[in-house]
Amino acid sequence: MTTGFPVYDSAQVRTPLLTEARNIWSYRGLIRLLVSRELTTRYKRSVLGVWWTLLNPLLTTGIMWLVFGVVIGNRFGETTEPYVVYLLAGVIMMTFFGQGFLATGAAITNSSAILSKVYVPAEVFAVSTAIAGAVNFLISFGALAVVQLWAGVGIPWTIVLSPLSILAMLGLVAGLGLTLASLAVYFYDILDFSRVLVQLVYYMTPVFWTLEILPERFHIFMRLNPLFSHLELFRDLTYRGTLGEPWMWATVFGSAVGFLVLGVWLFGKSWRTLVSQL
Amino acid sequence: MTGRPGSHEPLIEAHGVSVAYMMAHDRAGTFKEFTFQLLRRQIRTERFFAVKDVSFEVRRGETLALIGPNGAGKTTLMKVIARVLPPTEGRVIVRGLVAPMIALGAGFNHELNAIENIVLFGTLMGRDPEEMRERAQAIGEWAELTQFMDVPIRSYSSGMLARLGFAVAADVDPDVMVVDEVLSVGDESFQRKSFDRMQELMSGGTAVLLVSHVLPKVEEMADRVMWLDKGSVRMTGDPVEVIAAYRASVG
Repeated sequence: MTTGFPVYDSAQVRTPLLTEARNIWSYRGLIRLLVSRELTTRYKRSVLGVWWTLLNPLLTTGIMWLVFGVVIGNRFGETTEPYVVYLLAGVIMMTFFGQGFLATGAAITNSSAILSKVYVPAEVFAVSTAIAGAVNFLISFGALAVVQLWAGVGIPWTIVLSPLSILAMLGLVAGLGLTLASLAVYFYDILDFSRVLVQLVYYMTPVFWTLEILPERFHIFMRLNPLFSHLELFRDLTYRGTLGEPWMWATVFGSAVGFLVLGVWLFGKSWRTLVSQL
Repeated sequence: MTGRPGSHEPLIEAHGVSVAYMMAHDRAGTFKEFTFQLLRRQIRTERFFAVKDVSFEVRRGETLALIGPNGAGKTTLMKVIARVLPPTEGRVIVRGLVAPMIALGAGFNHELNAIENIVLFGTLMGRDPEEMRERAQAIGEWAELTQFMDVPIRSYSSGMLARLGFAVAADVDPDVMVVDEVLSVGDESFQRKSFDRMQELMSGGTAVLLVSHVLPKVEEMADRVMWLDKGSVRMTGDPVEVIAAYRASVG
């Protein structure tokens, strides 16, 4: 039925994935606004402004490099590649993951002032937050390229493929974020839980340590941690100039698609309760 | 494009609408509580009905007012029509462009300036950002804020914020209006101005759903009045009769 005016029918059935995709497409103008609002207002009152986006991962990396690279020494694994580059690549990916996941999970509840008064599909807020995280990541990605040049690693051709790895991470962040947002409807303390969980995952994934310090028999466990593949594939493409193993690609895209489907499905189940509790 | 809706069908239809909220004390609020309750097999979903089996229609050019004491379910029903809250039971159909005059300025961001907020708030209400950018100056002028358009609105007074909110919400050509007691914005002259604008919008052939505690105003504006009590309809019909009955019951 094509009419020139919008019709709201509460009896209209939601089709999982399709409804969300359609909502996101028709609200793309708002998403663009929300993303730029999030990026510009975050540091609006600070002197350095958006430069903090760049400074944050650099400072974190600087501290880790000082602690693990200089003070403790090479106990976290011998690398043939500059440790600084290894660290920074890991830190920016994990920041994208951790902050993105938590912020996306809280995005809908944080927008309750709007959502309880004006009709906007709730998923729009989650998606905007995830995308804002991706944009922040891209800024620090630029910093990584500069550090690569400075450390003498250069920029290999395979870097043109790293957007695929970034896109997969965005999928993982959005999917897990929606999962978290849906579960937070029923248990609000799950947001605190996941903050601890993110920390745990940070240590369980080779961000600052390398695979070599792990006994061979434990390597199999790294295959079970999708973040390992996300980080290593990103490092391979961005500065090692290698293409990564096929199983890494499978894990990276499998986990992105899998969690995206899970998140959207759960959201479809819980959105009714979610919006009535805002 | 078939133009505007409502030549045949009503613009607002509510069929047997009920809205239930989960009772707070029965809700497993935390994961820990949930686990304990699960172990004791005590998960109950007791529900509280804020709106019970309400049906009505509003046609083009008609104004329906909801009256009733606090907690009668007026605002909940309003939110259902504004699409903010899905009905638990029953069905709602709303045809055409809806202007929710419920929360003026709900989407404002205090770090942004007036122009950016006009664009943001308008886009939240489903309008095109480009169109809002073109309209921004005119809206600001209408709100009498022309000199303050490029300062962050955190430095605005509450009156200025309310004026801005009303100006954006009223800058529409809606088919359906959902109005929740927003007739008193700003100082006296601005109140008159906004009331006139409201009348203008209503007379343009919109279907209006109005909630108000100001009964004389309701009597003046509404074509029909619906009296809600504890979520159910007590009486519907002629404004004078329903208001008289309601007044008599309140005493």
